[in-house]
Amino acid sequence: MLNPLRSEAEAFRFLLYVLVVAAVIAGLVLLGRALF
Amino acid sequence: MEAASVTQGSHAGVHDEHGHGPPEANRSSRVEPQLLGMLLFIISEVMVFGAFFTAYFFIRVVGGAEWPAEGDHLPKLIAGVNTAILLSSSFTMHWALESAKAGNRFGLQAGIFTTFGLGATFLFIQINEYVHLGFAPQDSAQGSVFYGLTGLHGAHVAVGLTLLAFTTIRAFRGHFTPTEHRGVEVPGIYWHFVDVMWVVVYTTVYII
Repeated sequence: MLNPLRSEAEAFRFLLYVLVVAAVIAGLVLLGRALF
Repeated sequence: MEAASVTQGSHAGVHDEHGHGPPEANRSSRVEPQLLGMLLFIISEVMVFGAFFTAYFFIRVVGGAEWPAEGDHLPKLIAGVNTAILLSSSFTMHWALESAKAGNRFGLQAGIFTTFGLGATFLFIQINEYVHLGFAPQDSAQGSVFYGLTGLHGAHVAVGLTLLAFTTIRAFRGHFTPTEHRGVEVPGIYWHFVDVMWVVVYTTVYII
């Protein structure tokens, strides 16, 4: 399981994960606003 | 006096068979104390950011207020470029630690120095953004939350830069080896935490 507080490498992977999730959420919200 | 200090130093933290020296510190965790301290600090910081995000979502979701306040404008593009700068610094931070682990001193020094430079650039651009925004924290609830969230994050960047400054100086003084690099690892975890928080702040405050 990913634990961002265990090591720098895992914290870095967690950052990339958050980046992807944030991009997906932002994309969905902007798409929803454009459609509705 | 000096001899006494050296003798005492060699037994620091050890309760020897003659009963000399302080008793060994109790360790209830398998995690090393230096790392555990940073972990607990970051967990408390997540809660601080959570309080500020509560105010943000209260205004937007519960209060249904316009975001940003009417007449205000948030420079999304400049903040986006600034986001790219800060995210780049996490890559150089990771490079620095991997270099330290591999015994690549140039990579360590270049990586940590570049990380510091990118972080300082981020903070400079953010301060410049504040100067040109055109609204103040006291103008509206939205303004208060905007400056509160971004300012809280900026303060964390400043703290991170302080840690990185010490790490940079140590790297150039020849510290850190492939086996001993906690002085890079712990600031690295903190720096990635600062970047994670910015991704959340940028997405919620500027984009959504």
